[in-house]
Amino acid sequence: MPDREQSSKSDPEGLDRALQVKQDHETIALLAEDLLPALIAKLAASGLGEIEVREGGWKARLRMPITTGEARKGAGQSAESHAAHGPARVAAGHSRPDERYAVPAAEAAEPDRIAAKSPAVGVYQPRRDLAVGMRVRSGDRIGTVNVLGVNQDVVSPVDGVIGSSMAEAGEAVEYGQELVRIELPDGSAGAQTGGPESEPAGAAGSV
Amino acid sequence: MIGKVLIANRGEIALRILRACRTMGIGAVVAYSEADREGLAAQLADEAICIGPADAKHSYLSAPAIISAAVVTGCDAIHPGYGFLSEDEGFADVVRAHDLTFIGPSADVLERFASKEATRRLMASHGLTTIPGSGMLRDEAHALEEAERIGYPVLLKPSAGGGGKGMRLVRTARELESTFKVSRSEAKAGFGDDSLYLEKYLDDNRHVEIQVAVDSFGNAIHLGDRDCSVQRRHQKIIEETPSPALSDAARRDLAERALKAVTAAGYENLGTLEFLVDGKGDAYFIEINCRVQVEHPITEMCTGIDLVAMQIKIAAGEPLGLTQADVVSRGHAIEFRILAEDPANDFRPQAGQVGAYLAPGGPGVRIDSHLYPGYEIPAYYDSLLGKLCVWAPNRSQAIARGDAALREMLVDGVTTNIELHRAILANQVFIDGKVTTNLLDRVGSAPFVAAGNR
Repeated sequence: MPDREQSSKSDPEGLDRALQVKQDHETIALLAEDLLPALIAKLAASGLGEIEVREGGWKARLRMPITTGEARKGAGQSAESHAAHGPARVAAGHSRPDERYAVPAAEAAEPDRIAAKSPAVGVYQPRRDLAVGMRVRSGDRIGTVNVLGVNQDVVSPVDGVIGSSMAEAGEAVEYGQELVRIELPDGSAGAQTGGPESEPAGAAGSV
Repeated sequence: MIGKVLIANRGEIALRILRACRTMGIGAVVAYSEADREGLAAQLADEAICIGPADAKHSYLSAPAIISAAVVTGCDAIHPGYGFLSEDEGFADVVRAHDLTFIGPSADVLERFASKEATRRLMASHGLTTIPGSGMLRDEAHALEEAERIGYPVLLKPSAGGGGKGMRLVRTARELESTFKVSRSEAKAGFGDDSLYLEKYLDDNRHVEIQVAVDSFGNAIHLGDRDCSVQRRHQKIIEETPSPALSDAARRDLAERALKAVTAAGYENLGTLEFLVDGKGDAYFIEINCRVQVEHPITEMCTGIDLVAMQIKIAAGEPLGLTQADVVSRGHAIEFRILAEDPANDFRPQAGQVGAYLAPGGPGVRIDSHLYPGYEIPAYYDSLLGKLCVWAPNRSQAIARGDAALREMLVDGVTTNIELHRAILANQVFIDGKVTTNLLDRVGSAPFVAAGNR
C-alpha cells in the first residue's frame, strides 16, 4: 500500500492508469461472468446468427455456435476472431488501444496486413487524389464501389498510411475484396489490431 | 439465347443448377455469401463471386447485390433456385429492367399468383376444386362468422406466407378469438402483409402435387405427380412418385385438370400445383409453386427429363420441344431429404464440420448434395444437406433400394435424420402407402426413432 501511495503522489498518471486497469478488469469480469452467458443464452434462443452489444468502451460480438458445444469465453483475449475456426466465435474488442491488453501478435492471422475492403459487389473507383504514402484516419473515404449506379464508400479501417493498391480503377470487385493496403505507423501494429475500430470493414459476419 | 447464368443460391440447388448449365454448354457464375466461400458449388464453379455477408438479407436476399454481381461478371440471366428471391415478383421485375433474364415465370405471372387466396379463386374459376374457405378476413367478427359457416376445425392462414409458416389450427370459436390478433401481427411482422384467411382443416389428408411446364408459345405438358405426405410440421421430408394415394385413372384426371386450369390462368414456365387429397380420393387445390421444387429429381428419374434445363430453355424463350405424348413416366422414385437435424432432440438443427462422408451408389441411386469430407456446415441457413433419391421399376423395389442406400450413406461429424428415414421406410403405414401429412406430428417421431435404433 505505501508503495502505491508513493507512486501515485509522484506520478498522477500512474493513478489514472491503475484506475483504468481496475475498470478494465471489472469490465472483463462483467463480460465473462454476466454479459456473455446471458448473451449466449439469448443468441441460442433467438435463432439469430449473430448479435453485438456495446457497453461503455467495449463491444462484444457473438456468432451462432457451430456445434452444441458451449461457446468459449474468450472475452478480453480474442479480439482477432475473424480468421479463427472453431466451435464458437466470440469476439470482444477494446476501443481504447492499450498495449497491455492488445492481442499477442501470434494470435492474429497476419497482424501487419490491413486493407480497405469492398463493401459490396460492383465497380471500384479509388478517390482521385489517392496516393501511396498518404495519411488516412480510420473511416476516411478511400474510394467507392458502384453498385448499379449507387456509390458505396470504401473506407480505411484504421489510422495509417496508404500502401499498395490491390485493385485497379474500373475493376469489378466482389464483397469483402481487399482493395488498398493500409500500412500502420511503426510500432503501433499490436495496439491497432486490438481495437474494434481497426477491424477490417468486411470482417463483420465473416466466417 | 442465354450465354451465362448467375446462380443466386447456395447448397445443393446451386450445384444442381451449375450441373444443368454445364451439360447445356452455358457459362455459370456462382454467387455466394461469405459463409459459403467453401461451399461445393463455389468451389466447383469456373467462376464464383462473393455478394455479401453470411446474413442472407445482405446476400442471397439482396436484389442489388445479386444483380450487380450478374452485371459485373457479364451474365445475361439469373437463376434464383428455390426459396430466397425465387418467387419474388419485384425481384423478377428489377432483373428484367436490367436487361437480364429471370429464370422462372415473368414478373407479371409471379404477381398474378402471388396471393394464395387470389390464386385459389383464380384456379377455382378454371375448374379446380378448392378447400372450403373464406375470402380475406376484415376483422375478428368476420373471421368468427366465416369459421362458423365453414365449420371447425379451421386453419387460420396468412395470405403471404408459405411452407406452413405462420398458420394456425383453430378448433373452437374461443381459440379463434384468442389467436386472431396475434396471427395478424405475426403475419405483418413475418411477411409484411397482415392479410389472413380461413380454410377448412382436413384431418387425414395426403399431399399430392402436379408438375407442369408451359412455354411462351403456349405449349404445355404435365410431368406427373409427386406425393409429399411424409411431413413434419408442414415440412416435407420424404417424397415419392407416383403417389400411392391415387389410382392411375385418378392420377391422369388430376394432372390433366391441373394442366388445363393453370394454362388457362396464364401460367408460364416450370410450376407445381399442390393439392390435398382426402380419404375419399378427392383432390383440393391449395397453392402453386412458381419455381423448381426441392423434390424435382424424382420426377426427372421417372421421366428422364432434366427439369432445370427445361426451365432455362423456357426462360430463354425456346419452345418445349416436347408434347404430352413424349412424357412417359416409368417406375417409382423416392427422395429422402438428408437434414442436419437431431430427431432425438426435437429436430434441433446441427452445424459443424463434416468428417468422413460417403455417398451411396448402385443402380437407380442419385445424390444431389453439396457435402464433402471436411465441409463446415454454416449455421446461418436451412438444414438441408442434400437429397438421396432412388429409382426402381416398382414401389417395393424402390423402398428396398432406398433402405440399402441409406445404410450405405455416411455423414460423420454431425447428427442427421438418416436413421429416421430408415425407420419410416420400415413402418407398415409407409409400406402400405397410407401416410397422411399429420402422421409424424400425431404419433411423434419417437416411435420411429426408437424403432430405428433397434
